Amino acid sequence: MLRSSGAASILILPLILVLGLGLASPRPAAGQAVTPDIDELKKTAVKVFLDCDSCDLDYIKTEITFVNYVRDRLEAQVHVLITTQATGSGGREYTLTFIGQNECRDLTDIQKYFSAQSDTEDDVRRGLVRTLKLGLMSYVGRTPIACRIAVDYTKPGASGPVRDRWNSWVFSLAGNGYFSGEESYKSGMADLSFSANRITAGSKVRLSASVDTSKQRYIVEDTTYTGRTSGWNGSGLYVKSLGEHWSAGAFFEVESSLYSNIDLGVSVAPAVEYNFFPYSQSTRRQLRALYTLSLKSVKYREETIFGKLRETLLKEELSLTLDLREKFGTVSLSVEGSNYFNDLSKYRVDTFSIVNLRLYKGLSVYVIGGYSWYHNSQLSLLGREPTYEEQLLRLRELPMNSNYFAAIGFQFQFGSIFTNVINPRFGTSGSGGLSISIH
Amino acid sequence: MRHMNTRNIRAAALVAAIALALALPAAAQAPAARPAGTPLPPLPKVFIDWPGADIEALKSEIPFVEFVPALEAAQIRVAVVPQGPPPEGLAIEFTGFKDFQGQDNKLTYAPAPGEKPEDVIKGVAGLIKIGLLRYAAKTPSAKDLSVRFLDQAKPTAVDDKWNFWVFSLSASSFLMGETQYRNGSYFGSFSANRTTPEFKVRTSVYGQLSTSWFDLGNGSVYESKTHGYGFSGLVVKSLGQHWSAGAFLSVESSTYANLDLSANVGPAVEYDVFPYSESTKRQLRILYRVGFTAARYREQTVYLKTSERLLQESLTWAYEIVRPWGNASIQLEGSHFFHDFSKNRVQLEAELSFRIWRGLSFEIDGSYTRIRDQIALSGEGASLEEILLRQKQLATGYDYSFSVGFNFSFGSTRSNVVNPRFGNGGRSISISM
Repeated sequence: MLRSSGAASILILPLILVLGLGLASPRPAAGQAVTPDIDELKKTAVKVFLDCDSCDLDYIKTEITFVNYVRDRLEAQVHVLITTQATGSGGREYTLTFIGQNECRDLTDIQKYFSAQSDTEDDVRRGLVRTLKLGLMSYVGRTPIACRIAVDYTKPGASGPVRDRWNSWVFSLAGNGYFSGEESYKSGMADLSFSANRITAGSKVRLSASVDTSKQRYIVEDTTYTGRTSGWNGSGLYVKSLGEHWSAGAFFEVESSLYSNIDLGVSVAPAVEYNFFPYSQSTRRQLRALYTLSLKSVKYREETIFGKLRETLLKEELSLTLDLREKFGTVSLSVEGSNYFNDLSKYRVDTFSIVNLRLYKGLSVYVIGGYSWYHNSQLSLLGREPTYEEQLLRLRELPMNSNYFAAIGFQFQFGSIFTNVINPRFGTSGSGGLSISIH
Repeated sequence: MRHMNTRNIRAAALVAAIALALALPAAAQAPAARPAGTPLPPLPKVFIDWPGADIEALKSEIPFVEFVPALEAAQIRVAVVPQGPPPEGLAIEFTGFKDFQGQDNKLTYAPAPGEKPEDVIKGVAGLIKIGLLRYAAKTPSAKDLSVRFLDQAKPTAVDDKWNFWVFSLSASSFLMGETQYRNGSYFGSFSANRTTPEFKVRTSVYGQLSTSWFDLGNGSVYESKTHGYGFSGLVVKSLGQHWSAGAFLSVESSTYANLDLSANVGPAVEYDVFPYSESTKRQLRILYRVGFTAARYREQTVYLKTSERLLQESLTWAYEIVRPWGNASIQLEGSHFFHDFSKNRVQLEAELSFRIWRGLSFEIDGSYTRIRDQIALSGEGASLEEILLRQKQLATGYDYSFSVGFNFSFGSTRSNVVNPRFGNGGRSISISM
C-alpha cells in the first residue's frame, strides 16, 4: 500500500533536482508544510446535492466529510443523481450522474457501481461511497480542501476476468412468511418461489414458479370469520434484442387462483416493443410501446357470470410507458388498454402516473394516481353471489366498473441550506402523516 | 472483486484458482494469491505535457495510471500551463481521448505568496493525482483505490445565515375509490428543526383528517370521519460521546385514541455504550424517560374517567449493528404508570438480516407487545363499522407481527448486464405495518 501524503514529501527532492527550479533556498523538512485551518477550508468545500432514493444518506455524510451537503439542488455546485437498475446476476447497477452547476457548470461525469445479489446492506453502502468519493474528486480538486486528501492504492492481487461456468444463468429460491395478530384479528401468509434467469445484452430469459397461501381470522362479537386464499403460478419470458430501439419476444404463463376463480389457465403471448429512446439510456429515460397478442385457455373453478366453465380467449394489449429521471424530478406515466377478440365490447383501460417535481428553491410537489375502467372484462367473475365472508375479507374478485387512487402533496422548505450534521441522539423520529415511497 | 468490470483477458491459472475458491467456501473470504505471470488489468494511459516534469517521480506518486511517452497512445492528456507571469497560478488541463472522449477538466494550483517551487511542484503533482481519479474509477483498478480525508472538519464549519434552522411546510392527500367505496385522507404539517452536533431541536404541528363513504346497496350509505391534530417537540443536549439529556413535549387530540386533548411532558436521559460517532455502524442505547400526562377524554373511559393526570416512566434498551455479514437490531421497551403499576406495557422488537453463505441470506423481523395500559379506551365500545374500519382503538392484551424469509441464489455472479427490454421485471412488493 502506498500512502501518498508520506510519499509526496519524499518526492520533493528528485523533483527539484530534475526541474532545476530549486533556488538556493533551504529545503523544508518533511512534514513542515503549514496545515491551513481545516474549518476555513471546509467553508469553501464543494456544495453537493445528493439525489438518491435508495441510499443510506447518514452513512454517506459520516464517511465523506470533505464536501458540504445542501438540501436544495439549485444551491449545489454538483448535483449527484443516482439511479439504479437490476443486473443480469440479480444485483443492481448504480449510475452516478454528476451534474456540475454554478461555478462547476462545465464539469459533468458519469460513474457506475455494481452490487451483487449476495451483497449485504453494508457491502453496498461501502461500495457506493467508494465510487461516490472517486467521482467527487474532480470537483474537490477545484477547492483548497484538496490539499488534505490522500489517495491509497493497493496494487491488485488476483485479478482479471473469470470464465463464467454458469453461462450467465442465475437461479434463485426464496421463501417468505408473515404473521400478525391481536385478540380479535389474526392473519398469516406464506409464499415460496423459484426463478431461473439468463440476461445478456442480446437476449433475456426469465423463468419463475411460485406458490402462495394466506389465512385471516376476525372475531366480531363471538362470531369468527375465517378466510383462506391460495394459488400457484409459473411464467416465462424470452426477449431478443433488435438494435437500440426494437425488441421481440414472448410471454408464457400457467396459473391457478382461488381469488380469480381460475382452476387452470395457460397462456402464450408473442410481443413486440419499441423504445423511442435508445435502450442504453434506460436508467434515465424510457418511452416504451409494447404490443402483446395473447392466446389463453382457461378452466374455471365455478361457473362464471357469463355461464362458462372453460373457454379459449384471444386478447390484444397495448401499453405505453414513459419513465424520466431528471434533475428536476421524476416523471412516470403509463397507459394500458386491452380487449378480447371474441367480444370487442369486453375491454379494459388502466392508467398510472407518478410525477414528483422540484419546482423551485425548496418547493417540491408530487402527484401519484391511477384510474382503471373495466368494461365487462372480468371474465372469470363468479356466477353466484359471493358469501358475506368472501366479500368482507376480499377472498374473491368482485365486480367493478372502475376504480381510482390519487395522492397529491407538496413540501416547502426554507432556512439553512446545509444538511451536513448527523445527530442520532434520542433516535431519529419520523414526521408522521402519510408516507409514500417510490421504488 | 465482485464489482469488477469483466474484460476479455485469458488467465487460465486464475480461473483454476477461482474455481477452487468457489468449491471451498472457507477459502472464499481469503484474498486469493496472484499466480506469477497473470496480466494486470489495463490502467488508464496518460500523456504528461509538462516540460521538464519528472515522469519517474510522478510514476511512483500516481501508481494507478500508466504514463506513456506519446500523445497518440494516450487516453488522457494532462497539460500543466502557467496562467500569467509567475508567481501566478498553474492551470492543469485534463483532456480525455478514445474511451474518455469529452471527459475534460481544468484544475488550478494557486501558490501561496512566497511558496517554495518544490512545494508548488508537490502541490501540482497532488492535483494531477486527484484529477486522474475519475478516469481510474472507470477501470477495474477502481476497487483498489480509496480516498481518505486527512482531517476531521466540523460539519458546522460553514457560513450559514439561518444558523442551521430548517423550516418545512408540507401537505399531502390520498384519495381512492371504487363504484361503491370512496376514501380520502389529508395531512398537513409545519416543522422547525435545528440539528447541530451539540444540540438537536425538533418541533412540529400537524393535523389530519380522514373520510370514508360506503354504498351498502338498497340505497343505504355509511359515512364516517376521523381526525387528529397535535404538536410535538424534542430538545436534546449532547453531553460528550456517550451521554445525552433532553426533554419531550407533545399535545394531541385524536378521535381514534378517544383523546379530546392530552398533553405529555417530561425529561429524558440517554446513554450509548458506543460513541455516538459510530451510530451508522453500531449503537447500544439506553433511554430513560419520565412523563407527566394531563388528558381530557372524548367519551368516558372503561375506567369511568373523563379526565385525569398521570405520571409515567419508561425505559428503552436498543441495540443496532450494521456489519459486512448483514445487520441486526433489537429493542426492548417497558413502561408503567405510577398510580397503578399494573397499568403497564412491554414491547420487544427485533430484526435480523444475515448472509449465511454466499448467495444464501436469511431475514427475520418481529415484534410482540404485552398491553396492559389502555387507559383511554372508550367505555361506550365500538360499532361493527368502527371495528372493521379501524376507527377506534380496541381492547387487546397483546399484538404481534412476525415475518421470516430466505433467499438462495446461485449461478453466474459476474453478469453486470442491464437489459431493460419488456420492462426490468422483478418488482418487489413489501408489506410493512
